[in-house]
Amino acid sequence: MKALCWTGVNQVAVEDVPEPRLLNRQDALIRVTASSVCGSDLHLLDGYVPTVMAGDVLGHEFVGEVVEVGPDVRERRVGERVTVCSIIGCGRCRYCLEGLWSLCDNTNPDPGFLEKLIGHATAGIFGYSHAMGGFAGSHAEYVRVPYADVNAFPVPENVPDSSAVFASDAVPTGWMGADMGGVGPGDVVAVWGCGGVGQMAALASLRMGAERVIAIDRFPERLAMAEGIGAQTLDYRRVDVLDALKELTGGRGPDVCIEAVGMESHGTGAQYAYDRVKQATRLQTDRGLALRQAVHACRKGGTVSVLGVYLGVVDKFPMGAVMNKGLTLRSGQQHGQRYIPMILDRMRQGDIDASHLLTHPLPLQDGPKGYELFKEKRDGCVRAVFHPGSHPASSQAASEPATADAPR
Amino acid sequence: MPASLMPLAPLRRPAARGRTHRGRNGLLLLGAAAAAAGAVAARRARPARPRQSTWYAVTVQADPAELTGPDRPDVLARLAERHDVRVTPAPGGRGAEIAVAAADGRTREEVRALKQLLETGEVLVVEGQPEGRRTMLGRAALPVFRRLARRGAR
Repeated sequence: MKALCWTGVNQVAVEDVPEPRLLNRQDALIRVTASSVCGSDLHLLDGYVPTVMAGDVLGHEFVGEVVEVGPDVRERRVGERVTVCSIIGCGRCRYCLEGLWSLCDNTNPDPGFLEKLIGHATAGIFGYSHAMGGFAGSHAEYVRVPYADVNAFPVPENVPDSSAVFASDAVPTGWMGADMGGVGPGDVVAVWGCGGVGQMAALASLRMGAERVIAIDRFPERLAMAEGIGAQTLDYRRVDVLDALKELTGGRGPDVCIEAVGMESHGTGAQYAYDRVKQATRLQTDRGLALRQAVHACRKGGTVSVLGVYLGVVDKFPMGAVMNKGLTLRSGQQHGQRYIPMILDRMRQGDIDASHLLTHPLPLQDGPKGYELFKEKRDGCVRAVFHPGSHPASSQAASEPATADAPR
Repeated sequence: MPASLMPLAPLRRPAARGRTHRGRNGLLLLGAAAAAAGAVAARRARPARPRQSTWYAVTVQADPAELTGPDRPDVLARLAERHDVRVTPAPGGRGAEIAVAAADGRTREEVRALKQLLETGEVLVVEGQPEGRRTMLGRAALPVFRRLARRGAR
């Protein structure tokens, strides 16, 4: 079968690879119908994750059809259309039972690297390097899903793949950001980053009753999408974000600050230059500009909710602000299994529609082009989504940006 | 820097600097002696390394009563033939703590597998999945990485 593989720093290629097979009794095989790029893939692409290897199949955000199940799979059936959570849980360890699925004890078969790096191993993730279990990713015609009963969720008939694919990661991650922030009626929420996750965090905050959501980015098309969702926006190249947030909140600062940017944060000024130099010279692994700003902006006693992916150490983290302002700092990879059934139900009811994020539907063979568009934010690309079943002959039509659907 | 590396730098200097071989050798010896003395002094000055626990422990979502006595799982019984094994209730009803004494890498891998087996009924496998072209280095490195990642850390 065809699969999109990491082949080197800033290089991916479509290769012929063997088809997956059931390796455990609770596995299912899924025929992938849509598989999205994700901002966290860029950390792999850019070479910041040392445990990715040439030949690894990428992709972790996907929807597809069940084509085979192992003998101990009880809930899933062949023929079902399912969204699969990007982070793999076992459903039986203490963490899964408490709803902390991304901290699963049992789904990272190679835990030693993370145990050394961060103290403990966390859950396995599809297509996210050997530190995260070395699972083959979903940018392929077929993918094997372990513990299928707890990781694959049937998609309601009226929810199209273009929206259901984001129920795998972007929507539940965004929802978790607002949930961790404890967003409620009357809150003012600021969201750093208007990619798929940031937009969904803004949407979730509004659904939870936030009175005002302020979304921060620099790309006009992303800011327009956030406005379509109902957020106010700030372009950080044009305004001083800290000043603007104070003005917009009567001097208090946002009640909840959601950081949906991560370790390759962009910005302006000396601090950004400092971060770039330190990261390039490997004196720090992660650039924390947006994170520092979120901490600085947050109102006294507020909550900073970190969704952006960080891998190692951030220099100049303002712990003094966290302590003296009495902030609550929360973070985590998504506990998707906790949210996906509710999200799919809201999609069924029309309360959530994430399909506007899909700006570039592409056949799998155009994977390298998709990542280039996504990484460079060309052509208004917010998310490129690969459809392994379609062929390059149809790529002309398929690659037309879905701009008509964009702002919501 | 290890003392053995110290003499290499002067050997690379061009002869045009006018030093004789004997002079260079003398400098080398002096450098090596100084480095050795420094290393010994540093070692003496360094505080003793904190002692590592000799027990490797995991918490399992299981009734401690099921992990003790004659009906305990076979894997646990086999571990107990080679190691001291301690099973105690975890605080807050969080299952059972299994601790194994003097656990080497292989034993740590076995304990992790035991936990998975007890909790989920199977041990997750990743070998045999689809993969693209590996580099020669990657083909050699992957099994080593997996072995270290499964056995190495405490």
